[in-house]
Amino acid sequence: MDITSLFTQFLSGLTYGTILFLVAAGLSLIFGVMNILNFAHAALWLMGAYFSYTFWNLMQEHSFAFWLSIPLAGFAAAAVGWFLEVVLIKRIYKRELHEQLLITYSIALILSDTIKLTWGVTNKLIVRPEIIRKPVFIFGSPLDSYFILVILSGAAVAIGLWWFLKYTRYGHIVKAAVHSREMVGALGIPIPRIYTWVFTLGIFLAGFAGGIQAPIGSITLGMDNAIIIQAFCVVVIGGFGSLLGTLVGSLIVGEVFSFTILFWPDGAMVLIFVITAAILIVRPWGLFGTPMRT
Amino acid sequence: MNFRKTTAFFVAVITCLFFFGITTAKAAEPYNLGVALGLTGAGALYSADGVEGIKLAVEEINSKGGFLGQHKVELFIRDSQTKPDVGVREVKDLILRDKIRAVINDYSSAVAMAVKPIAQEYKVLHIASISNSENITMINPSPYTFQVVPNSYMQAKAAAVAVAKMAKQKGWKEYITIASDYEWGRSTQASAVKFLKDTSPDLTLKKEFWPRLGEAQFTSYITGIMAMKPDFVLGSVASNDNVAWMEQAKTYGFFEKIPYPGSLITVTELQLQAKTLPRGMIALTRAPFFAHMDNPMMADFVKNYRAKYNKYPSDWAVLSYDAVYALKQGVEKAKSIDTEKVKDAMKGMTVDLTRGKLTFRTIDNQLSCSSYTGTIADDPRYPFPIYKDIMEIKGSESERPDSEILEARKATK
Repeated sequence: MDITSLFTQFLSGLTYGTILFLVAAGLSLIFGVMNILNFAHAALWLMGAYFSYTFWNLMQEHSFAFWLSIPLAGFAAAAVGWFLEVVLIKRIYKRELHEQLLITYSIALILSDTIKLTWGVTNKLIVRPEIIRKPVFIFGSPLDSYFILVILSGAAVAIGLWWFLKYTRYGHIVKAAVHSREMVGALGIPIPRIYTWVFTLGIFLAGFAGGIQAPIGSITLGMDNAIIIQAFCVVVIGGFGSLLGTLVGSLIVGEVFSFTILFWPDGAMVLIFVITAAILIVRPWGLFGTPMRT
Repeated sequence: MNFRKTTAFFVAVITCLFFFGITTAKAAEPYNLGVALGLTGAGALYSADGVEGIKLAVEEINSKGGFLGQHKVELFIRDSQTKPDVGVREVKDLILRDKIRAVINDYSSAVAMAVKPIAQEYKVLHIASISNSENITMINPSPYTFQVVPNSYMQAKAAAVAVAKMAKQKGWKEYITIASDYEWGRSTQASAVKFLKDTSPDLTLKKEFWPRLGEAQFTSYITGIMAMKPDFVLGSVASNDNVAWMEQAKTYGFFEKIPYPGSLITVTELQLQAKTLPRGMIALTRAPFFAHMDNPMMADFVKNYRAKYNKYPSDWAVLSYDAVYALKQGVEKAKSIDTEKVKDAMKGMTVDLTRGKLTFRTIDNQLSCSSYTGTIADDPRYPFPIYKDIMEIKGSESERPDSEILEARKATK
């Protein structure tokens, strides 16, 4: 195995990790701030992919259709997320964890059926513009040119979220709410409204990630089932609520999967679950999470 | 005298009514045909086409009065979700609630195998038109289960015949397989590897990849395989996954670097990926309509299908359409819709289908039908590429010998 091949495999792992990061970032954000384990996250991700297909399909004759449909998918999903929060999620913040799980899982099932009713059962394919149909070569390693965009989007989301949490007033409120929502509430900040917008932002990320995923293969019903499990692995490894943890967790899962395929193809997925289980036993709050929460 | 006349008249009228009543009751008895296909899940893409083929066939048959000209065919369509437990539940429900006499099922071989014993238990005909694992008919055979699609063994042998020819020409030595990790993927891969061993013993299998059913990210597999630089790659990736796999592999220039012969590229993929499919690729399929346009039944089918659905029929539409017509001819031969009689009539029967005159094998109820290989090329007659230099590998050239089937059955007992 020469160095170019290893580097190629590293790039594959990086793209896989980035896709997972985009899905897991919103999941982790929502859990970190609101303590809601959102099982419907991947369903909204899938909805984002379908939205992106629809936008692309509507604007097909324009050259910007492909590029515009991805952020639009994020906004469309965010609208659905906002609606869900206001109508349903708002009412379950104080409930037990298992009730929240049941409710978000039901939402996932309802959304899956909604997708089936809206877009039908045949899978959808977005045709990429000519310029991103060929591989590019980085130090002799081939990389799907679209993945450059994927990796850049992942980096942009990571930096954007980090900047938001670190330097904006709203970011500070969100971070404070992670530690003590009572204290933030006591300072006169309207917690319910903050929650609504954090949830909407999280779902925007899900929809955006769905839009990013859409041109990679075909869009199929049931795609969400596989990714939600892997996204959970990512947040468990990285630590719920930690942005850095989610980023590192995604890259670990992506790279481990990618390299295991070279040497032990059958065990690639198994190894990820073994790591997840090990982290749960040794360090239940994940690599970058905090053990105590109020 | 008057009294006798009147009585006779009434008797005649009543007798007439009686017979008329019986005949109308008989004509009114419909033939309930169940369809349980994976309308959602990994098999959605192929199954939807299957249902369209079935609907068209039933419409045509009903416009002539139904089976035997009098039994209207009523369709009961269910979603097996490509899951064995759901498939079994739905088929049981079809049998008990909708009183079906036959069921066309499934996309997934795992579902078809789970449904087989149920169909046998309730004495209902079971026709597999998309799923094609050999084990559906080879092991634990059921007299009620028929298969109208070339099975995994036949397809693998057909592919091996083509690959062996090319390997010899091009001096290939090492290869890699990639197959979906479930019943069909595993059995197809196993047969292909075995054939290559038999036909070209110099070839070595370097590595096997098993992406799970429903995989959406193939990048790591693609770059991994490319790094190993095999002489060629054999693929058996299913339905939706196959689209994702091909699309992603293509953007890496995979097919320009590594020959990928004998992979399943059906008319569905030819149409869906019309713009992007690499031309010149050698591929395999199960029932391409364009190979039989000289058969009037196929020509009519394509014409009617296009009129109804405004597209060309995929393999799955052809096969499922054939499934209904095989059943129709079974009923005609039995001169009855009685399932026992139809089942016996279909054993070893020769049927007239879109793919020509084909015979069900007596040993396992597998239709002795052809597999098709060819080079993907554009054709001015169609808005998508089709196969050029089609090689039709007949059932008789590709099916497993009876002796091996009997041996396999003995081994599983």
